[in-house]
Amino acid sequence: MTTTPLLLETQGLHFRFGKRAILQDINLQVAPGSIYGFLGPNGAGKSTTMRLLLGLLRPAAGRIQLFGHDLAQHRVALLSRVGALIENPSLYDHLTGRENVDVTRRLHGVSPARTAEVLEIVGLTNSANRPAKEYSLGMRQRLGLALALLPDPDLLLLDEPTNGLDPNGIMEMRGLLQRLRQEHGKTILLSSHLISEIEKVATHVGVIQQGRLVFQGRLPELQQLHAGRAQVMLETASADTCRNLLPHLLGGAMLTGASTLQLPFTSQNQVATLAEALVAAGQPIYSLRAEQPSLEDTFLHLTETSAAL
Amino acid sequence: MSTALAPSFALPAAPGLLTQLHRCLTADYQKLRRTVALWLAVGGGALPVLLNFCIFYSKGQYIIKPGQNPWPQYVSMSWQTSSILLLPLFMVLLTGLLTNVEHRASGWKHVHALPVGRWAVYSSKLLILLQLTLLAETLYVVLLLGAGGLLGWLRPGLGFQANHPDLLPVATMLGHTFIATLGMLGVQYVAALWWRGMVGPLGLGIAGIVTGLTLLRWEHIDLIPYAATTRVLGALGGKGTLTVNPHMMPAEWYSLAWFAGSLLLGYWLLRMRRAD
Repeated sequence: MTTTPLLLETQGLHFRFGKRAILQDINLQVAPGSIYGFLGPNGAGKSTTMRLLLGLLRPAAGRIQLFGHDLAQHRVALLSRVGALIENPSLYDHLTGRENVDVTRRLHGVSPARTAEVLEIVGLTNSANRPAKEYSLGMRQRLGLALALLPDPDLLLLDEPTNGLDPNGIMEMRGLLQRLRQEHGKTILLSSHLISEIEKVATHVGVIQQGRLVFQGRLPELQQLHAGRAQVMLETASADTCRNLLPHLLGGAMLTGASTLQLPFTSQNQVATLAEALVAAGQPIYSLRAEQPSLEDTFLHLTETSAAL
Repeated sequence: MSTALAPSFALPAAPGLLTQLHRCLTADYQKLRRTVALWLAVGGGALPVLLNFCIFYSKGQYIIKPGQNPWPQYVSMSWQTSSILLLPLFMVLLTGLLTNVEHRASGWKHVHALPVGRWAVYSSKLLILLQLTLLAETLYVVLLLGAGGLLGWLRPGLGFQANHPDLLPVATMLGHTFIATLGMLGVQYVAALWWRGMVGPLGLGIAGIVTGLTLLRWEHIDLIPYAATTRVLGALGGKGTLTVNPHMMPAEWYSLAWFAGSLLLGYWLLRMRRAD
């Protein structure tokens, strides 16, 4: 996928829970300065992968390399350059927001001034002295992000970071991630089950389904894949009659109703030829259009047909 | 924030082992703020002292013979009140509450994803537990002696002000009791880390305490860590003067063995188990 050295790479990563295989042969490739959207339905293995990338779990087989170094050998050293938010943020409810940041700051061994900086970045300065138990879900998520940003990490691992955020909060988070990448050169691995969330921010995408990586590449490559799945939709008087009259054009079409047909889009000429042939055959055209499936549909298609890929 | 756009691929230096431990300790101290565990450690010693104070204030004349030094009797009675049941309960609660700070916050996955080794996280909490236990037991002694002084002022007839408490035997007894608590501390700490909640270790602790109390007459009772604080009461002696046998008792050796064994098991579990 890239010739530049990878900031994060996994090779043949496997993980089992008891006898059940959770992850199989995961080969992630995350380039420096990218926002890698790690997509998959719930339960596909995203969080497990994130946990493996942080050394919280041990792989059954395979290697993980961060910054070109083996995670298993240099875990503590490498984690000093990583910020992570795994699922719900781990917050001590009896402490204030500021104290929560301070606890993690001490564990990172970074300067006390950093506490105020990260609180400012996530917009929690005014609520910093309130106990974390009084924080809304969105505020908790932002505080979790503040904890991840503390060491000024080169690599951010964010597992479903927009959980619990309102639309405004999601937009703010998106803006923040883009700023971190563009202005500060951060590399971000961002997991989500929503493609709409990933496509607005990611430069690269990996799709995981049932513990296997079924797609990995740049976002435009996924979009291309999705362009190849466009369909021609025809509405006429009798779909069946049309198909019988024009078997060379509509033989492969699918009947989606008594008067509607659907067939794979190949070119604009295909649509023009079809329109001409229908008129010549005396069939009415109520509507004829090429329809792009949403990226969401492509994602669902990818995750449903993983075995075929 | 960094302005360098290309990240370096050089391996960063890992913090030294002592630095890791120091970072964990300072973070753990901050986490202790406003916790029940801290309040328990600070105030836990007050209950047996208060109970004993009330007994001596209201019935002291029946316990102490006229002209007799009341301190030995006072210290022994109070030590018995606290050692048999209250101290084991205290240890079970303290270990459970301290580790629960992390359980409640789902803090393990966060802490173990930071640049500190698992051993540092484990050792730091253990050191905090040891410090809180020592703090609680020392505060208990200070309160006990203070309450004795107060009795001398409020009930001059009992003779507390006419005599002085003998500090060396009290300090020796504190040492015996502290060593006797270590076995329970180790077992409960590892149980609390294993169960990752309050109920499991609380159940184990109560079962252990009941077993210890029930089997007090068993010839091998020294083997049970939950009975150790009761067993070291045997070091207390003397009617007119307070004497404490300075030698380690079998229950203390077993307590140390339980402590060491539990910690080794705990560390092994920590390495083998998933860290989140």
